[in-house]
Amino acid sequence: MGKGRYLVRRLVYIVFVFFIISILMFFIYKSMPGDPVRMMLGDVSQSMKPDAYQALYDRTYLQLGLDKPLVVQYFIWIGNMLTGNFGYSTQYKRDVIEVIGTPMLNTLMLNAVSMLVVFAISIPLGIATAVRKNGVFDKFIQVITIVGYSLPSFIIALLLIFAFAVKIPIFPISGVRSPGFSGNGFEMFLDTAWHMALPAIVMSISGIGSITRYVRAEMIDVLRMDYIKTARAKGLKEKTVIYVHAFRNALIPIVTIATAWVVALFGGSVVIESVFLWPGLGKMLIDGLMQRDFSIVLTMQMFYVILALAGNVIMDIAYTIVDPRVRLEN
Amino acid sequence: MAKKQKDAGRKSTAAAAAERMFMGGMPQEEQDEELMQSPLRMVVTSFIKDKIAVVGLCLFVVIFLCCMILPFFFPIELNYQDVTQANAAPGFGLLKVPDSLQGNVQALSVGSTFSVGLDKDGNVYEWGTFPTEKLKSIPAASEMGPLTQISAGYDHVLAVNAEGQIFTWGNDRMGLTSIPVELEVSRQPIKQISAGHQFSLALTENGRLYNWGSSYLLSIYFPEGVQGNIAQFEDNPNIVIALTNDGRVEPLSNKPSAYTNVPEEVQGNTVDIALSDESAAALTADGQVYTWGNNVYGSMNVPEEIQGHVVDIEGGRYHYTAILDDGTVTSWGNNNFGQTNAPKMTGVTDVFTNYFGSYAIDENGNAESWGLDGYLMGTDQLGRDVFRRLLLGGRMTMTVGFIAVIISTFIGVLVGGISGYKGGKIDNLLMRLTEIVSSIPFLPFCIILSSILGNSISELQRIILIMFILGLLSWPGIARLVRGSVLAEREQEFVTAAKALGVKEFGIILRHILPNIITVIIVNATLDFATCMLTESSLSFIGFGVTEPNATWGNMLNGAQNGQVIENYWWRWLFPAIAFGVCTISINCVGDGLRDAIDPKSKER
Repeated sequence: MGKGRYLVRRLVYIVFVFFIISILMFFIYKSMPGDPVRMMLGDVSQSMKPDAYQALYDRTYLQLGLDKPLVVQYFIWIGNMLTGNFGYSTQYKRDVIEVIGTPMLNTLMLNAVSMLVVFAISIPLGIATAVRKNGVFDKFIQVITIVGYSLPSFIIALLLIFAFAVKIPIFPISGVRSPGFSGNGFEMFLDTAWHMALPAIVMSISGIGSITRYVRAEMIDVLRMDYIKTARAKGLKEKTVIYVHAFRNALIPIVTIATAWVVALFGGSVVIESVFLWPGLGKMLIDGLMQRDFSIVLTMQMFYVILALAGNVIMDIAYTIVDPRVRLEN
Repeated sequence: MAKKQKDAGRKSTAAAAAERMFMGGMPQEEQDEELMQSPLRMVVTSFIKDKIAVVGLCLFVVIFLCCMILPFFFPIELNYQDVTQANAAPGFGLLKVPDSLQGNVQALSVGSTFSVGLDKDGNVYEWGTFPTEKLKSIPAASEMGPLTQISAGYDHVLAVNAEGQIFTWGNDRMGLTSIPVELEVSRQPIKQISAGHQFSLALTENGRLYNWGSSYLLSIYFPEGVQGNIAQFEDNPNIVIALTNDGRVEPLSNKPSAYTNVPEEVQGNTVDIALSDESAAALTADGQVYTWGNNVYGSMNVPEEIQGHVVDIEGGRYHYTAILDDGTVTSWGNNNFGQTNAPKMTGVTDVFTNYFGSYAIDENGNAESWGLDGYLMGTDQLGRDVFRRLLLGGRMTMTVGFIAVIISTFIGVLVGGISGYKGGKIDNLLMRLTEIVSSIPFLPFCIILSSILGNSISELQRIILIMFILGLLSWPGIARLVRGSVLAEREQEFVTAAKALGVKEFGIILRHILPNIITVIIVNATLDFATCMLTESSLSFIGFGVTEPNATWGNMLNGAQNGQVIENYWWRWLFPAIAFGVCTISINCVGDGLRDAIDPKSKER
């Protein structure tokens, strides 16, 4: 089977998974308390005559298709969701699609930076510890990383806030921008980066802990293989052996775990965003739940589902790139 | 011959013969027999060699036992809270009278988490944990002169010198420093002073009561003919009660409450009054104690044997202390901090009781104390002991994590086992299901489920819900692992043999395959336990897991989300964070150690 057909098969399968999960989400949507029509209309009831409001209500009721059977309602709902018609936010008094832009950007920024930091540190570190396994350096990193991935992110956050925002006030405690900040684009960028430092460090620490350990374990497994001995016997440089022969082969399981980690990272940023008052999707989700603004909540949930599935797709594509054997898989 | 017998004892002769045949009849070496170890013993031996894992195991066992056993010795009511004890710093010695004051005591007063005292020369002493740093800035002795009376409140102190001049220090907001002009300008002899919960009271010799400070909680209303006729007063954060010169008890409030329900038989006959947080007590001339109000924590259960012998009575938050006519002291009421463990002493001349502490003074001017001596880890914003909640929280976090792991392991083993053993279409179906569950974004989904399902159910149901959400969403990992192991095991010869012998499928899975993969399951369950605890506390931390008043290590940190708390009340977040960190690190160390121990390949690592 070729790469292309393999990918197509996986894509079809992921679309299938998406529909299964979306049915689950639809039931959550149906079980949410409150009248969806009233929520959608928002507070227009105050500015309209009762009979005019009733007419509008009935029209919207039909428009939302609430009189139709559940199956039809599901397809109307999923159609709305897929075309960006996420409903009306009672909290912001605007359509959801209009208010999720900035938070999405903030979250993507924070997660992308953490991701870069984690991969830039943990992959070289994992390789280095695997090569020097059982040495002092390796033992030291082992202890540090077990602490890193055992501590929950919010405890790391509290410790770092205490150290670097309270005792030695280098970084701001929360927010995304200094209040009343004005300046050109570059200064704005610096200000945001300064605010992002602490949350990004916190998110990176737990990631570095687990990914480093994983890279190390995989590398050790690979370094024991016979083809590594062959490569060394051929007289290849140690660098070539490690980075070309060994790492390339260790990469396959690393891709799996890294993708799963990235998806979890986005989910986990809910906690970080609420600690650092970072105005991203996670904070929006929590605020939405607190304010019972369910259109927002459901849109966020949809985002996380799509993200998880996109992670799966990326994983599949990455497989086909790093592992030539994939195309032979049935 | 002896050798042969031993062989026969070890295995059946047929098997021995078969072995001889295959092994070319070579007699087995004695050493081989010693090297033979059961897999479990091998795991244990190599686990013990792993020092980090053993230390982790010990730490975890200690934490686990603490959280399971110590709550019985340090009980705490879930709904208990006390505003007067909020945010007390960790430390002991709240009731430790300074040595230089012993034998020289003129007056003492118990404040919220500190005490003040006067020696016979009128010098001030302060000890305990101070709610505000301002309490340490006592006015200079040269400025005040010898003091005659002193009173400690929630976070301020009131004192009077011989000339009737009033001094106050500590909290200086809410008008606590604005001593009424009448008392400032025309100094009058002061009969009694009291520093209350952010308000101050002073009674002059001519029976007039003055109050200043916060009127937020307390409003004072003088019934007809009471002002100017007051002999004594007592206060708590809710009400002031006065004893008039003609022995009547008058609540200074125009709103009916539990305190205003004064029994008729004490009116005109009372010599002393006392007030606790929920009830009041009056002492009549014949030494009888009458109580009224709400009987919270048994503060109204006056011991029968003291009736008729009481000469003086004082009230704390939920307890009373009385001096008896034989010069001994006794206390009754709530004993959660040992408030009623009165010392056996005689010749008591005076007692000072308030909040959770009591002092008794004998005729030599020596003071003995009992009651709340301090908090090991301080208190939180509602005045609850952090140490006791830490123990309860640990128990809750571990219970939730444990049951969630049991649920997820059960589902995981079931799904993985069936899928691996059956193969084919069932395998395909179950693995797709596993993939679907593992594609669900975990934390957001937990949040949304617990918030939608959890808002109309009781606390206990909510906790069970959290366990099930965690259990039902975290099984895919273990299912994949079990499936892989079962796939490997089912091709083994002993399974074929069992099939050939006609063992039922269920029996094969349970008796022949499961024992071989149980170590894998245990290791994974251990690591999952840490993950479940982590998820539970993350959920509780952002307020979507186990909620107040139930404690978990996650929701104890919930209040610590702002910089002010992180900086000033470090004990509120640092202790739970350390406990939780040590716990998850040790569990992960144990899990890693176990994994290395059962995996012979990893020995080379």
